[in-house]
Amino acid sequence: MATLNIMVGQEQGNVPVTVLRVEGDIDAASHKTLQDKASELIDEGASNILLDLGGVNYMGSAGFRALHAISNKLGADDDSGLSKSSHLKLLNPTDAVSRVIKTLGFDVYLDIYQDRDEAINAF
Amino acid sequence: METPLTSTINKIETLRKCAFLDGLKETILNDLAARAETLRVASGEAIITRGEAGSTMYFIISGSARVHDGEVTWANIEKGEVFGEMAVLDSEVRSATVTTQSDCLLLSIERDVFYDALASDSGAFKAVLHAVLQREREIVQEIKTRSTKLLSYQKEMEIGRRIQADFLPASVPEIDNWEVAAWFEAAREVAGDFYDIFKLKTSSHIAIVIGDVCDKGVGAALFMTLFRSLIRASALYGYTDSAMADTVPDDTSGGAASVLLNSIMTTNRYIATTHAGSSMFASVFFGLLNPETGKLTYVNAGHEAPIIFRSGGEAEILEITGGVIGLFPAARYTVETVTLNEGDLIFTYTDGVNEAKNLAGEQFSDARILETAAPEAIGTESFLKIMLDGVRKFRGEAEQSDDITMLALKYLPSDPSI
Repeated sequence: MATLNIMVGQEQGNVPVTVLRVEGDIDAASHKTLQDKASELIDEGASNILLDLGGVNYMGSAGFRALHAISNKLGADDDSGLSKSSHLKLLNPTDAVSRVIKTLGFDVYLDIYQDRDEAINAF
Repeated sequence: METPLTSTINKIETLRKCAFLDGLKETILNDLAARAETLRVASGEAIITRGEAGSTMYFIISGSARVHDGEVTWANIEKGEVFGEMAVLDSEVRSATVTTQSDCLLLSIERDVFYDALASDSGAFKAVLHAVLQREREIVQEIKTRSTKLLSYQKEMEIGRRIQADFLPASVPEIDNWEVAAWFEAAREVAGDFYDIFKLKTSSHIAIVIGDVCDKGVGAALFMTLFRSLIRASALYGYTDSAMADTVPDDTSGGAASVLLNSIMTTNRYIATTHAGSSMFASVFFGLLNPETGKLTYVNAGHEAPIIFRSGGEAEILEITGGVIGLFPAARYTVETVTLNEGDLIFTYTDGVNEAKNLAGEQFSDARILETAAPEAIGTESFLKIMLDGVRKFRGEAEQSDDITMLALKYLPSDPSI
């Protein structure tokens, strides 16, 4: 079974931002680890999450479903007319993951940053 | 010092209650109890491990344990039950792993001790044999029950497969000057892929849809029927409200753009709000073709880019115009248009084609699609066959891991020499 390592950090930008550095493959076996961890942090009060995907070499559809579930739990922007989540952003995806994000058009739904400080201050 | 739980009387009591030792004389039980060891095991420890050698059998005095192979649980056992006896009797390796589920108090008896105690009574082996056979009968009965259940699941899956097949077009429509071919091959009984092709009621447009619902198996199959039906229903019977028309200010597509946006956005909004908790999404390419002019108006919602093979030899890909549908209710999509000319062929497909893997784990890839394609092939059917043969040859002995769906349309040249 794939193991996923998640390191949690707390940053202060314009608002408090919880940074999750994820390492491993996010697939059908491991996506729940990420989803559960994020869920736990949201229950404890996290309201803005930056997912650092620099250590993720593969993300399957289960991973994208997890991103949606996290975004949903952080609060949907259903009726605001915005299609982008304002509480979940992605940092530094690897080339392989970037390709899938682009194919599925997930960059339409989530902001993606290469620079950590820029990402934190974007919340 | 002995605690009440480990007293010899208690040991005898435990052995006497165990069905496996039913029929053994009191003197033998006394002998076994006297020579049995008591041990405490904390919760979550594997006492015996599948595949390893072992010469000890265990009786549970208190607590519970799980008989399993990895994640698959075969049985839960508790007070009064025995485990590890098979390896003691036949000297083979352990056939299962047993892990404690709570703190356990166990009695352990070594193979030599067991045989030694039984040797004093010729009837004892008969009693043990009887107990073993009794257990075997129970196992056979359990297998029968499970086989019957499995058979009924298989029947249900077959019914599901047949019902799902009804959600794909029974045949492709006849379109003047166009040739159409489709291929659909599920990796499992039921699939998450779908395609659709039908004539609009309000105009002469032909709707071309190809989609891939995330995930696999029954869950994906259920959502496939939903995505496909919402798209078809809203395209055939939906209305275009004024708000939607505003999003297409320069609609020169004869209403096609509005129909597309209405259909995709309605489907997206419905699933993203009604089934938000499921986080199920689909990548969808939806095009409306005017068969008289070759003009194709389309939305590509996060789907593998269809390829237009021009009669002159160039290939043109139709990149995404929005993200996958079903997740974010407020998602917006852009409509694009492209014109097919006589002799051009459009090839749409799902990731079961470009992501088909060989045994080395390599993917067929977009590049190989372009290399394999033979648009000059006599028609769409032979085009798809060449592509499918290419994928299968590349895959070799590797298993088909994803559904394969392909849909191709060719604008027939009025002058066949083109």
